[in-house]
Amino acid sequence: MNGWRRRVHAPTDAAALAALIREAAREGRGLRIVGAGRWLDVGSPVDASDGITTTVLRGITAYNPADLTLSCGAGTTLAELEMATRAHDQWCPLLPWGDDLGTVGATAATATAGPFAERLGQPSTLVLGLECVDGTGRVIEAGGRVVKNVAGFDLTRLMIGAWGTLGVITQLHLRLRARPAVDRTMVLEAPISAEDAVTAFARGPYAPLALLRMDGGAVWAKMAGVVPATTEPGARRWLVRIGGNAQFVAAAQDALARLGRLTTVDGDAIWPLVRQHAAPRAGPGHWRWDALSRRLRERFDPQRVLNPGLLGAR
Amino acid sequence: MATLATALEQIVGAAHLLTRPPSLLVYRSDGLPGHRAIPSLAVFPGTRGEVVRVVRVLAEAGAPFVARGAGTGLSGGALADGIVLLGLHRLKGILAIDPDARTATVEPGVVNATLSKSVAPLGLHYAPDPSSQSACTIGGNIAENAGGPHCLKYGVTLDHVVRATVVLPDGEVMALDRGEGTGYDLLGAFVGSEGCFGVVLDVTVRLAPIPEGVITLLADFTSVRAAADATSRIIAAGILPGALELMDHATIEAVESSVYAAGYPRDAAAVLLAEVDGAVAGLDADAEAIERLCCEAGAREVRVARDAVERARLWQGRKKAFGAMGRVAPHLVVQDAVVPRTKLADLLEEIHAIGMRHDVRVCNVFHAGDGNLHPNIPYDADDPAESARVAEAMSEIMHRCIAVGGTITGEHGVGLDKLDYMPALFGADTLDAMCTLRDVFDPDRRANPGKVVPVRSCREWLAAPSARTH
Repeated sequence: MNGWRRRVHAPTDAAALAALIREAAREGRGLRIVGAGRWLDVGSPVDASDGITTTVLRGITAYNPADLTLSCGAGTTLAELEMATRAHDQWCPLLPWGDDLGTVGATAATATAGPFAERLGQPSTLVLGLECVDGTGRVIEAGGRVVKNVAGFDLTRLMIGAWGTLGVITQLHLRLRARPAVDRTMVLEAPISAEDAVTAFARGPYAPLALLRMDGGAVWAKMAGVVPATTEPGARRWLVRIGGNAQFVAAAQDALARLGRLTTVDGDAIWPLVRQHAAPRAGPGHWRWDALSRRLRERFDPQRVLNPGLLGAR
Repeated sequence: MATLATALEQIVGAAHLLTRPPSLLVYRSDGLPGHRAIPSLAVFPGTRGEVVRVVRVLAEAGAPFVARGAGTGLSGGALADGIVLLGLHRLKGILAIDPDARTATVEPGVVNATLSKSVAPLGLHYAPDPSSQSACTIGGNIAENAGGPHCLKYGVTLDHVVRATVVLPDGEVMALDRGEGTGYDLLGAFVGSEGCFGVVLDVTVRLAPIPEGVITLLADFTSVRAAADATSRIIAAGILPGALELMDHATIEAVESSVYAAGYPRDAAAVLLAEVDGAVAGLDADAEAIERLCCEAGAREVRVARDAVERARLWQGRKKAFGAMGRVAPHLVVQDAVVPRTKLADLLEEIHAIGMRHDVRVCNVFHAGDGNLHPNIPYDADDPAESARVAEAMSEIMHRCIAVGGTITGEHGVGLDKLDYMPALFGADTLDAMCTLRDVFDPDRRANPGKVVPVRSCREWLAAPSARTH
């Protein structure tokens, strides 16, 4: 797959994609599914003659800020999503590991979370519904556009994190949240002995949006210029992001200040660097092909058209 | 059937097997009295091992079955029509509690509220809180992906489930999780599958810390539109309340005339029950903002619960509203639809008009913050003419919800009750894909047959020469 010399198709809607998939299934060809190309070097080699790019399935198709929901094409970049929602003081806090040129579709297909997922939601929580095409060419409208929905069997959760092997995502309906009134990122420097207290803080009533232990040598810390000239011996540092109303943030800050020295830093500059350079891992792990998973693959992509080989033998 | 009964009796003992129609009558409906069906027999295993053995005996016999928890469901989903009913309420074990990881592993028959009570001494609780939480079981919650008032902030059942051990309808025992980068999200597919994918043996759920502070407010309005408008303003302002519930005049009347009287103003067109919770710092500001936004939307008065007793009373009225409607008529149809929040006000007016047109009394009590409507109609299920009017009104209401971009169920499930609306909501390919997903878990379609997806939507199923009628 590293020799990227495939015919690449750029279907403009789900129907066109379905036609391509049905044709490939008839001819026994595999298709490599690609968004912005951020995941080409992970997983096992894909045995595909052709490529499908979702990048033309791009743009926000519905956004009603008062409903806190948004629909967009799978090829929409995270940067576009961020820009559109920021204008209304909202966000879709996917904010996954990686850069903002990645697509929303790939974020869902790979179930890539980020440093805020624990507090603000995993991709599977933030995606309310999606449109996809499975390996038999069925155009599936999974889930819905409203914030709560249990109608029918959950095809949305099935597609999230399936790496495109059960269906190619073409459209997504997302849950948005209002940005916190006050959003502050700080560096906490405290003695190593304070580590338990810091952990307790993170589990307490002032649970931060993210709390990350900083390694002085981390690339992102250097790039962001948050490595101090001198660090006291035996000191440890954390990057903390607190969000909430003014009273909440002030109280959280007071609690943190009791643990060590606090310095406010530029969150808008530092978090994109953290997401790019501090990602814990990348790509699918050794895939678990139990009986159910094998049947899923057999039934949703019987001809092995979608990313064949990416998750191992199947 | 006699041999099947004998085989099952050998597993569970005669005391836990019902075969005679009079004793089976108990199971003829769930929380929705409009649907009635009597199982051929009912079996109640007492251990996880017995559940597996029962399911294997059913598999060998090719016998279809319906799993059932407390039977509080509101979709007719737990009805067994002439087939085996597999009751799980005896599996009440809380197997493990891990305060550090904030998880609990429980058997499916554990009652929702019992779990929260058991972990309260550790400062923890189980967040999803269906109104039936004093009776409904965790296993049933998993089957329905149950919600509740506090799901607005804390998420529905799926958001709180870490892993589960299940027995598939063919008798195979599987451990399911969310995939975690090394597998498909099998647990995500299983939760909310309404008993069609298998039976939960044990489940590990997330526990949340009990909030440091809680403020509960009651705002009263002279129009439903103003209450709906207040809801939109609160959400748009970026406040995420723990819960935001709306009750209309008909509901207030029913509650205030019952033993659950909560002190709601009887002359209000609607009340909004709002709760903010979390760290004490910042709560006042959120509560004040809610009060201000309600007043701007036209609230007559906003009351703040002074203490835990008053808070519990305000909530009792909400949580027992369905019960209170029992005074109005012998039966109650509870509906469950979700619409975009901004459509709430228009839709509530339409629902009122639909009720008037069909001469039925619609009581609205619902999760306004989620746009999750519960239009309920008290009626007499034994009166065919009234039942027909209720069915027509409900059908109209549901089609209006679909038309404005909503869905037919936010937390109660499709079951039997909403089967007919599925083709209005999903296209043929999507329904067919749902059938495919069911086939992955239950190729023989013996688990809760005939529910969730209309059989006629399943192409392969129809094409098969052995296609069954159920």
